[in-house]
Amino acid sequence: MSTIDRRQFLQRMLVLGGGALATAALLSLLSCFKEEAPELPSDNITPLPPPPEGAAYLAVARGDDPAALVQRSIDALGGIGRFVKSGNDVIIKPNICVSNRTPEYAATTNPEVVAALVALCLGAGAKRVRVMDHPFSGGAEEAYVTSGISEVVRAAGGEMEVMATMKFQDTTIPLGRKITHWPIYQDVLDCDVLIDVPIAKHHGLTGASLGMKNLLGVVLKRGEFHTDMSQKLPDLATLIRPDLTLVDGVRTLMQNGPTGGKLEWVKQTNTIIASHDIVAADAYAATLLGLTGADVSTIRAGAQRGLGTMDLSGIKIEEIAV
Amino acid sequence: MAPKKTRRKWRWTRLSVQILLLVVFLYLLIGSRVGADTLLPSDLFFHLNPLTGLSAMLAEKRFIVPMLLGLLTIGLTLVLGRAWCSWICPLGTLLDWTSLRRFRNAPGRLSHWRHVKYLTLAAVLLGALLGTLSLLVLDPVTILFRTLTSGLIPGMNWLVTRAETYLYRYDAFRGFLDGFDNFIRGTLLPAAEPYFVPSIALIVVFVGILALNTIRPRFWCRYVCPLGGLLGLVSRVSLLRRSVDQDKCNSCRRCARECPVNAIDSEKAYASDPAECTLCLKCVEDCPTCAIAVRPQPQPAEPELEGLTRRQVLGSFGIMLAGVALLRLAPLLRGTEQRRLRPPGTSEDDVMRKCIRCGLCVNICPTRAIHPSGTGADYDGTWTPMVVPRLGYCDYTCNRCGEVCPTGAIPKLSLPEKQQTVIGKAEIDENRCIPWSQNVNCIVCQEVCPLTEKAIELDDMTVTNDEGLEIVVRRPVVVRSRCIGCGLCEHWCPVKGEAAIRVYPDDGEGEHRRRGRS
Repeated sequence: MSTIDRRQFLQRMLVLGGGALATAALLSLLSCFKEEAPELPSDNITPLPPPPEGAAYLAVARGDDPAALVQRSIDALGGIGRFVKSGNDVIIKPNICVSNRTPEYAATTNPEVVAALVALCLGAGAKRVRVMDHPFSGGAEEAYVTSGISEVVRAAGGEMEVMATMKFQDTTIPLGRKITHWPIYQDVLDCDVLIDVPIAKHHGLTGASLGMKNLLGVVLKRGEFHTDMSQKLPDLATLIRPDLTLVDGVRTLMQNGPTGGKLEWVKQTNTIIASHDIVAADAYAATLLGLTGADVSTIRAGAQRGLGTMDLSGIKIEEIAV
Repeated sequence: MAPKKTRRKWRWTRLSVQILLLVVFLYLLIGSRVGADTLLPSDLFFHLNPLTGLSAMLAEKRFIVPMLLGLLTIGLTLVLGRAWCSWICPLGTLLDWTSLRRFRNAPGRLSHWRHVKYLTLAAVLLGALLGTLSLLVLDPVTILFRTLTSGLIPGMNWLVTRAETYLYRYDAFRGFLDGFDNFIRGTLLPAAEPYFVPSIALIVVFVGILALNTIRPRFWCRYVCPLGGLLGLVSRVSLLRRSVDQDKCNSCRRCARECPVNAIDSEKAYASDPAECTLCLKCVEDCPTCAIAVRPQPQPAEPELEGLTRRQVLGSFGIMLAGVALLRLAPLLRGTEQRRLRPPGTSEDDVMRKCIRCGLCVNICPTRAIHPSGTGADYDGTWTPMVVPRLGYCDYTCNRCGEVCPTGAIPKLSLPEKQQTVIGKAEIDENRCIPWSQNVNCIVCQEVCPLTEKAIELDDMTVTNDEGLEIVVRRPVVVRSRCIGCGLCEHWCPVKGEAAIRVYPDDGEGEHRRRGRS
């Protein structure tokens, strides 16, 4: 091994030390140019566009054929063409929260409903339709199979996407009050059309788990959402604004949500509720559980934030029997 | 003199066999993790390994039928000598490839060091006989498997995921990343991001073993490896051994100088010690006069334990005995150690008696609940599997650890059986729990409990908050009799740092603790 003398040693130390100092100086200079955090705008939530002429603000379809309910409720809103244009990249977000419940337990969204939506979107010319969720118990692929969703979605021509860790990017929530940034699945923000398809479920914290609660599937650290959920959830909903919310009320999990596990807790309600307004859809769907929008803290908070309306008397509701 | 072309064929044959078997090893490792139906049993290498088999049977004092596959390897050694080390052993292959020649400066023999491997072997077997398999941490197959599953692959995964996450911000990369991520997830890299408690320790040990190559090539195999010791003992009576044709030999010393395991003694007419020779056939190919061949030899070789006195042997046994005794003292400390949860259906005793530290269960656990234990307070349990719910919960619909365990240390359980098997019992730390300590609703633990009759219930309690208002708080309470300790609650508990609900080994005393229901 070569040896160095004291002079060389000192020289090297000087060079190294100087280099380190210069790097540090450069880095601190760079940080001066870092963007100032923007002044938080108070309530600049873009108001929802009004529905087109003749279309309902909210559609409710009742009957025992889930696919037909989806079709008819969307027709009442002006048809799928209102939401999905040719060449669009569509993401459908059902609720597939665990891998150990088959659809009849009403813990996960009805597969027929999801498949019908996939078919409608593809029929409207969507470039691709992806379906995804991020279960908290069990693997995603398993959960997709158990829920019965992967089979019918693939048959309908849609893709099941296992959510990739790399796509959860720390994202600024400009209108957030309680939370200002969070790791959020980028594709959900970047896609052309996001369709939120929750299943109506009882929930121990908010009373009901519906469209807004379903958005938790596209973020990480969701446990931390549960304290002050009625603040944090609307914060998230200011950034993630589904183009269409379609609540699956074919079966409703009436108690011991969100995972259930007994058929006696499931009620056959044969209803689909659809709207471009997530708050209105949630408020109507709360009635499936014997509640009103005002009873559910997150819906109340969402309405107060201007995310939508929970005043069902002021909107055009079309009820269809199929 | 045979033409050069044919004489090099052994080198390429050996390399091909090594590559093939290493690929098989990795294929089985990955295949068992992704749950694919592999063509060969995923524990093939562990069953072929006579050392793990012998130790496990000694420790349990019974025959473990699949472990008898190790007799195949013994049979092979009886014919070919220590060919396992140069042709089959995946760690040996890696050590072949990382010879680190550039960093080595002292040639020459370290003959007396060779005996160390017999002492490690004796220690492993003695330990097994006395009921501890801890020393199997020195087994080469388990070393490589464990390091890969719990050290290198998680490390690689971390790097790849960070790089992907960074690049995904830029639109230009997204198409490529989508395809790339789809391709490697669930195959080369695990779908869920793995973190393991002792990853660093594992990598340090592994790098240490590689670094020993800078002292002598394949230092580990020559001097330390207990499996090498076992096969070396058998090799003395192997049928095919190297022989030198004294008429042809021109004493060029090349074979002695270049033998990767330094088995050839130039002082003894270039004869080799069969316990050291791994039948790599390098000398056969390199010999300029073609004097070397591998031939059947009916006479067993002379033992070469020169330089080891009876006193030294007896002394070593004394030290080993003391060492094992110290290891076995550790259970006495068990009351003071951190909580240690074991995979479903197994007990502390089963683990200590049967676990060969192979890491198959760690590799296969899809939710990364099972971790190789570090040393902790209990040295005797080093690298045995433990459940760390904060890092990974036990999935309600999975029983794969029991199915993959090669020794039955984790029992095979049907799914309904496993779903009633108690890993531990959850207990709430009311000083940390948000609803208990801060009067703020949370319910995450109750929400995630996978049981139909949830083991966590919410009690509505009217309390006075900081502002003096009466409010209703939903406070979680564990129903102890239902809890199976899967750890979903502990895993998802949003309290930072240590969870406010934790799973503890079931000591049967929980009924007397306050607040929890039985």
